[in-house]
Amino acid sequence: MSKILTRYGDNYVAEMTEEEIRQDIEDGTLDASERAEIPTLTKEEVDYLYEIIACPQKIVSVEPGKEVVVSFDAGTLKLCVRNGIPMDRLQAILTQERALASDSIEMCHVDYSYKPIKAIIAEEKQAMEQAQLMTTLPLLYGAMPNMGLYTKPDGPCENWAELLPAGKIPEARAAQEEAIEHAIKDIVFVASNMIDSGADGINFDTVGASGDADVKASLEAVRILKEKYPTTGFEVGMAGEFNLGMHGQLKYDDEVIAGLYPHQQVKMAERAGVSIFGMAVNTNSSMSLAWNLARVVTFAKAAVHVAEIPVHANVGMGVGGVPLSVIPSADAVSRVDKALIEIAGVDGL
Amino acid sequence: MKETIIKEAIDAMVKCNEAEAVAIMNRAIDEGLDPVEILSEGFSAGIREVGDLFGKGRAFLPELMLAADVMKSVSEIVDKAVADSGKQTEKIGTMVLATVEGDVHDIGKGIVASLIKTQGIEVIDLGRDVSAEEIVNKAVEYDADLIGTSALLTTTMGEQKKLEELLAARGLKGKIKTLIGGAPVTERFAKRIGADAYGEDAAEAVEKALALLHA
Amino acid sequence: MAVTHESTAGMGGIRSAGDLVFRMELQGMKINEAKKYVAEKLGCGIDQLADCAEMKDIREDLNIGTTQSRPNAGVGIQTKFRIAELLNIPINSVNKFKKEAGI
Repeated sequence: MSKILTRYGDNYVAEMTEEEIRQDIEDGTLDASERAEIPTLTKEEVDYLYEIIACPQKIVSVEPGKEVVVSFDAGTLKLCVRNGIPMDRLQAILTQERALASDSIEMCHVDYSYKPIKAIIAEEKQAMEQAQLMTTLPLLYGAMPNMGLYTKPDGPCENWAELLPAGKIPEARAAQEEAIEHAIKDIVFVASNMIDSGADGINFDTVGASGDADVKASLEAVRILKEKYPTTGFEVGMAGEFNLGMHGQLKYDDEVIAGLYPHQQVKMAERAGVSIFGMAVNTNSSMSLAWNLARVVTFAKAAVHVAEIPVHANVGMGVGGVPLSVIPSADAVSRVDKALIEIAGVDGL
Repeated sequence: MKETIIKEAIDAMVKCNEAEAVAIMNRAIDEGLDPVEILSEGFSAGIREVGDLFGKGRAFLPELMLAADVMKSVSEIVDKAVADSGKQTEKIGTMVLATVEGDVHDIGKGIVASLIKTQGIEVIDLGRDVSAEEIVNKAVEYDADLIGTSALLTTTMGEQKKLEELLAARGLKGKIKTLIGGAPVTERFAKRIGADAYGEDAAEAVEKALALLHA
Repeated sequence: MAVTHESTAGMGGIRSAGDLVFRMELQGMKINEAKKYVAEKLGCGIDQLADCAEMKDIREDLNIGTTQSRPNAGVGIQTKFRIAELLNIPINSVNKFKKEAGI
C-alpha cells in the first residue's frame, strides 16, 4: 500500500495510507459532530476532503472565483516584533498593504490587551491617525479582552484561577463578575478613542481565553459600541471551539454563555452587533492533519450554515487545523484554507 | 445490590449531590460491601464522567469543583471505614504544579489543578512565574511523585527543558516524574527534552498523571 | 504564513478588490453578497474581483490606489475619499479628515 505524505498537528511529516487518512477524516468529523451535536460531513465532502489532503502537489489553492478576504489578529505584532524586522508599525502596515497584498490589517500595541492601552491611548490614537492618512486598505485596531489582567497582582479582583481549585466557588464567581465591569469600561474607552481616530473597525482577539466572563465582557462592550458607532465594523475572534465555563452561570441576554460551540457562538455574536465572527478550533498536535481538518471543517460548516454575518476561520499557528508550530508548513496551511473555503464555505480567514 | 449502588454512586457524582453521595456510601458500608470498590467503580467512574463532560463543554469548572468536594466527603468515609477495619489506605500521590518562570498564564494550570485534585492526588500549586530551581526544591520538600509544568508561550517553553536538565543534574531524573503541557507544547517536544509525559489538555493531563503514578 | 494564505485563498488586497470586499464584510455582508455588491459598483463580473489584471485597470481608472507608487496617482486618504463614494459607505478616517480640514 503506497503511503501519502501529510502532516501531524505538530507540523512534522506523517506518511499515511489512504485507509488511515480516510479513517482519521471519519473520526475527526464524528468527534466534532458528537461534541457540538451537529451533522457530520457528507460522504461527498469526506471524499473531497480526502482529495485535498492526498493531492500530490505541494501547495493547493482554491478555484479562481472562490477567493475570500483575509483578516489578521496581532496584526502589527507579526513583522516588527515576532519576525524581529526593525520597522515601525506604519511600515509594517504598508508592507502588508503593498507587498503582501493583505485585504485588511490590524494595528495593535505590543502589550496586546485593552487594559494597558488606556494609559497610552494618546500615542495609539496618533499612530492610527497617521496610518489612516497613508493607507487604502481597511485598518482596524485590536487587542485581547484578557480578563486575567484584572486579577491580583495585576488588577483589583481576586484570582478565580486560584479560587476555583481551592473550592471557593461563590468567591470565584463574584471575582469574575467584578472583572467584567472593569473590562467593559476599558474596552469601550479604548475602542471609542480608536474609532474617533479613524479606525475602520475594532478587533476583539482570543475572546473567551479567560472563560465565559471574557465572552460576556466582550459582547456587552460590542453592544455598547455598536449603539454608539452603528456604521463601524466589529470583529470578534474566539479562543476555542467552545466557551470555557470558568463561571458557568453567566448569561448574555437569557442564554448561558458557557459551553456554546461555534454555531451557537455566532448567533450570540450577531445579537450583540458583531460584524465579523472569527471561529477558533484548536489543533491537536498529536493527531494528523486529516483528523484536525475534518473536525474544523465540520464545526465551520455548521457555523456558516446558521450565520447571517460573515464567518472567518482562525487559521493561525495551532488553530483551525494549521499545525502547532511557529513555522507551519505551507502544504498543510494551503490545504486548511482550501477545505475551509470550498467545503465549509467560510467568508474569510 | 452492588451494581445498583455503583450506578447510584455514578449518578450522585454526575449530579454533584453531596448528601446523596454520602448516604450511598454509608448504605454500602452498612450492607457489608467493600467501600474501596464502591469508591473506585462508582464514585471515581462518576467523577471521570464529570471530567469528560467538562472536556466537551457540557459541565463547567465550578461543577467540577463541586464534584471534587463530593469526592472528598465520600473518601473521608472510606478512609474511616478502612482504618476501622485495621487496614491501611494508600495515598495515590503528590504533584507539584507550576507555570514556568517568565510566564504569568495560570488559567489552564488552574483547570489542570482542579481536575487532578478530583482524582485524589494531592496538588501543591506553586502558582505562576516559578523558577525551575524553586519547582525542584518544592518537589523535594513535599516528597512529590510528579512535577507538572505549564508554558503558554513559545518563549517560555524552554524553561521546561531547563527543569529536565536540573532534575538530571541533581540526580532526581526518573525519581520525580515530569508532565508538561501548555499551548505551544507538543508530545514531540516532551520527548525531545526528556519529559516523562505530555498532556494535550486538562483531561489528558489527568490520564497521564494517573498513568505515571501507576507505572 | 500571510503569504501562503494570500496566495492560496486571499482576494489580493489592493492588487485586486480584496480591500473593497472586506469593507463590505465589515458592514456585515457575507462573502458572496459583498462580492456581488462590489462587482456591481465597479461594473465588473464577480469572478474578476480577484483578477489582478482586470482590477489593475479598474483601480487605475477609478484612481482608488494600487500596490505601485506612481506620480500623480492617488494614495492613502485620497483613495479612501473615492472608495467611500464608490461603495456608498461611511469611512471613519475620511469623515475625520473632512472634519479636521474643515471640508
